[in-house]
Amino acid sequence: MTTKQRIWITPTQVELNGTKLPVTAHGGALLTELYRQHVNDYPKFFKMDELSRLGFVAAELLLQAEGDRHSDTDDRAVILFNRCSSLCNDRKYQATIADKNDYFPSPSIFVYTLPNIVTGEIAIRNRYYGETSFYVLAARDYSFMQSVVEASFRDGTTRSALFGWIDCEDHDHFEAYMELVVQ
Amino acid sequence: MVLKIADNIYSPLGKTTEENYAAVKQGHSMLRSYPAGTMDLPEPFTASLFDWDSVDLIDGYTHFESIVIQSVRRALEQTDIDVQAPDVQFILSTTKGNVDLLDSRAPAFPPDRVLPGVSAQYIADYFGFSRVPLVVSNACISGLSAQITALRLLESGACRTAVVAGADVQSRFIISGFGSFKALSPQECRPFDIERIGLNLGEAAATIIYTNSQESSQRHTLTEPIANSQSWQAVRGAVRNDAFHISGPSPKGEGSYRAIRAALGDEPASALAMVNVHGTSTLYNDEMESAAIDRAGLLDVPVNSLKGYYGHTMGAAGVLETVLSMRALDDGIVLGTRGFEDLGVSHRVRVSSQHSKTDRQSFLKLLSGFGGCNAAMLFRKEAGNKL
Amino acid sequence: MEELVLELKKQIIEVLNLEDVQPDDIDNDAPLFGEGLGLDSIDALELIVMMEKSYGIKIKDPSAGKDIFKSVNTMADFVSKNRTK
Repeated sequence: MTTKQRIWITPTQVELNGTKLPVTAHGGALLTELYRQHVNDYPKFFKMDELSRLGFVAAELLLQAEGDRHSDTDDRAVILFNRCSSLCNDRKYQATIADKNDYFPSPSIFVYTLPNIVTGEIAIRNRYYGETSFYVLAARDYSFMQSVVEASFRDGTTRSALFGWIDCEDHDHFEAYMELVVQ
Repeated sequence: MVLKIADNIYSPLGKTTEENYAAVKQGHSMLRSYPAGTMDLPEPFTASLFDWDSVDLIDGYTHFESIVIQSVRRALEQTDIDVQAPDVQFILSTTKGNVDLLDSRAPAFPPDRVLPGVSAQYIADYFGFSRVPLVVSNACISGLSAQITALRLLESGACRTAVVAGADVQSRFIISGFGSFKALSPQECRPFDIERIGLNLGEAAATIIYTNSQESSQRHTLTEPIANSQSWQAVRGAVRNDAFHISGPSPKGEGSYRAIRAALGDEPASALAMVNVHGTSTLYNDEMESAAIDRAGLLDVPVNSLKGYYGHTMGAAGVLETVLSMRALDDGIVLGTRGFEDLGVSHRVRVSSQHSKTDRQSFLKLLSGFGGCNAAMLFRKEAGNKL
Repeated sequence: MEELVLELKKQIIEVLNLEDVQPDDIDNDAPLFGEGLGLDSIDALELIVMMEKSYGIKIKDPSAGKDIFKSVNTMADFVSKNRTK
């Protein structure tokens, strides 16, 4: 398995294939800044929760670096890992139901209380009909993650994958390390 | 060849696969109506829930962890696996794990216990697994995703035995959420029926243990009943995305159809005893699955849903429904779809409320979930599959 | 009624996270679903929550939303006839 592109996003910086991208904002605002500067044609971004925004923007930057958009295909998997699952958004949803006298469960927040939704957002944007998977680990374990992704190429149809660690604890604590890998 | 060597279902219907199968064969379910005020929820709902007083809770572990441990324990007891061995992988399928800990009404646990990987580590430590546990959180397809991941890790030699457990417990968090989607039926659910209006939620734990038979025939011995029965093989599985919408399924069943095609391979439809579907009893899901089954040329194959016996058990569903389907086919039975009466989908899938006999030896399991993901897995039992 | 129409537009924008949309961009009679703002099934459910939260109107059947949420005008009409808040 070969890495073709890689991106690293933290609340304060962005590095694409080893080169720092200029950003001025921090935290969640940094993600919005990246969206505005590099994407800006997908209003659904603003409906996404923090985890999905993080993964979406990371994927967009990787795919732009790849060049021609390889869309409408089932040979590219999206396989992501993290530690916090959808905790960042789970807390937000819990707040809509915590008080039984102020009980207004929000469907648009509830839908993001599953960590795999970010893989769905990437699939929809790029018309990826291939595998989308999400795994949770107690701690980041890169070689274990690699063995899972390498094994996923046994699918027979998968030829490349967006693979990585997309973790979001809250608005100011998140990290994305994503790669575009090919078999 | 990846073969099942043990299994368990720990649910409101029973603590063993046998108890569960006996109950389902008699048409029982634990779907009950709960009044408004249950879990401080404003609306009544129907669900299949544990009576926590009769669950073997373990001190220091959450409800979720207790049912996983009880299920895994019962499955492991059927084997002589040394869980400490470096080639035994524990995989846990769950959508929300300990999410109920976020509620102030919940018992106090350290805050990081709500993290599924941390919870899985506590469970793994209970048994002494030496490998780091892998949690699969892929919405409602997690139980098949976990088995497909196990299959790949076994075939690639990354491990030699995979203990796959699936579980979820219901909570105010989950029930209110599905309620906000207007996805719940206040009555017992009716998969594929013309009068269906929504799903019922459920909770359960289930375990399936796989081994790579080429690697393991010298290493594991089994208690006699298992060794003498024909073994179930996990043949092939696939996960595919609709690329359509994050909560609604593709009306053409795009992802489901692709997953079916990939999992079936060249297995002829005539070999299939049934397609055990997701069949949640929502308007959209059942219609979509019928479209996918039609597209895949499987209209002649019996279709069944088990959601009428257990409700939608989320992270447990893929494992529970696989284990139960295997047990039923061991008995030569295709289980009927409880709650079904008259077909209410636009593709003429072969659904029946009655159990029927079969001598076919393979089946396809399907699931679909939020995020547009779909999974399909082919299982086959052959006289030659012996350990 | 005009005040209610403006209030509804602002709420729609906020509740549905329509970041780049201004009240002036929403035509009172334009379809909200399908074309126009291109709202989807989750948006419809979220509008049902908004109805209860802001106006005390409970919509039990989501398919009733189709007619109520056709346009801002139909929404305003429905709210003014049914509000309890």
